Amino acid sequence: MPDDSANAESTPLRYSVKGKRMRFFDAQGIDELVAICMGMAQEMWVIKERQAALEFVAAEKGVLLPDDIEGHKFSTEQRTALDAEKQNFIDRIFFTLREEAESLTAEPEEEPSAPSMP
Amino acid sequence: MTESIDHDLKVNHTKDESSRQNFVQGMRSYVLNDLSGHMKTVWDRRAEPAFKKARGRKPADGPEVHKTIKSETLFKFYSAMRCNTQEMVWRSVMPAIEREGRDLSRRAQVLSQAGDKAEGTVTTDSNFQVPRYTSELDVHMMPGNYHEERIDYDVTQGAVFDNGLSVFSFGLLGDRMEDITDSVSTFYQARYTESQPKKILDLGCTLGHSTLPWKARYPDAEVHGVDVGGPCVRYAHARAQSYGVTAHFHQMDAEHTDFEDESFDIVYSCMFLHEVPLKNIKGVFKEAHRLLKPGGVMLHYELPPNSMTSPYDGFYLDWDSYYNKEPFYKAFRDADAKAEIEAAGFEKDSFFEHVAPSRNLYGQDALMAAAQDDGAKNDSRVGRFGDGVMWYFFGAHK
Repeated sequence: MPDDSANAESTPLRYSVKGKRMRFFDAQGIDELVAICMGMAQEMWVIKERQAALEFVAAEKGVLLPDDIEGHKFSTEQRTALDAEKQNFIDRIFFTLREEAESLTAEPEEEPSAPSMP
Repeated sequence: MTESIDHDLKVNHTKDESSRQNFVQGMRSYVLNDLSGHMKTVWDRRAEPAFKKARGRKPADGPEVHKTIKSETLFKFYSAMRCNTQEMVWRSVMPAIEREGRDLSRRAQVLSQAGDKAEGTVTTDSNFQVPRYTSELDVHMMPGNYHEERIDYDVTQGAVFDNGLSVFSFGLLGDRMEDITDSVSTFYQARYTESQPKKILDLGCTLGHSTLPWKARYPDAEVHGVDVGGPCVRYAHARAQSYGVTAHFHQMDAEHTDFEDESFDIVYSCMFLHEVPLKNIKGVFKEAHRLLKPGGVMLHYELPPNSMTSPYDGFYLDWDSYYNKEPFYKAFRDADAKAEIEAAGFEKDSFFEHVAPSRNLYGQDALMAAAQDDGAKNDSRVGRFGDGVMWYFFGAHK
């Protein structure tokens, strides 16, 4: 998930929560869909913040006109970088599905149990 | 976002990572204030009236509320979204810590060895056995918990907790995220003016944000913090050194410390007991009694007990025990702390409990006025992480 985990300074971390996952909905998959929707909402907010920053800076500097964005063609290098970011973007949104798989390989030996359900 | 971190272990989050954190804070505020309010409305207007009609009485306790509300769609969305925001808190801060892992470790070592601003110490034990009730769990869904280590002089999990707590608390914990102990220690000092502690111990100290305010209250006192997490005590020490506060941190189990008998005047903990099984809490009380000098005081900031809250608030606060990987939380809130403390040897009838208004939210005057007031208040804001939070604490004398 991290964008540049190959960096020599980096220390890979475990992102999945250990142990049993919480479920609230009777129908299969709804809990995952809630997680996915929230991930989508979060990423949309990231875009909105970046877009807002871009528009403020462009307006302040007077460097961008509407047609500049509409008519822009990505270079090969720009496209490659964006494609890599897109894969990270998708992985973040669908993280819950990866976690489902990872939970099968990272089970704790003996997770303390919650109190008995009322 | 992580503006509350202003010490030398701060990591650099990218703009997009900060935006993700910003979103998580907004989502937490929405879930804990808006959605929680909607769920209460459903309870008041539909679920509880239906319960009363069927049973001819109100629900008696939190578990009855829980059992009744579990089938409500709003409960399901509140719960699913709270779990997701909780996971997103940690995930939103981890990439920067992952990138800077080794540099963070080096910075922590430099701070720990520098004696120009403070002269604290840190000790860890490579053979230390983390209690299984901690090692087998990602407490409050924090991947890696307080103790996992991967590299030399690892402070990673301290950084994850510090950065995550900053996102999690969305400003409610004030400057340096020390508001709880800042408020509790200020209240204690104002109310118990005869107390002049020379040595103070903070159990389960994590980042040291519950340790350092004691040094601010009592500058001449020697202040110590213990935690089972090696990365936490290393981080806590480096953080304290960065702030120029002399404090001593040790990797130890609060139930079995290496300190001498009768060596402390105050033994304190903050948000610690609810993460410990009840049988080990009893052990912590006994250890605190062993460590305290005669006349010393044990203090714990915690969530209010179920005996102090309404059935609905009991359900609301116990939610974490079922769904937030904090399984020991409910047994602690159900326990009779006064009886357990007396069973550990503390002076009979010396138990006390108070509610300290947050200095960050209500200011110094409200805090000082409350310190002159008697007893804990039954207030639905106590312990909730939402608008208008109040801090509950209890203790006893040896």
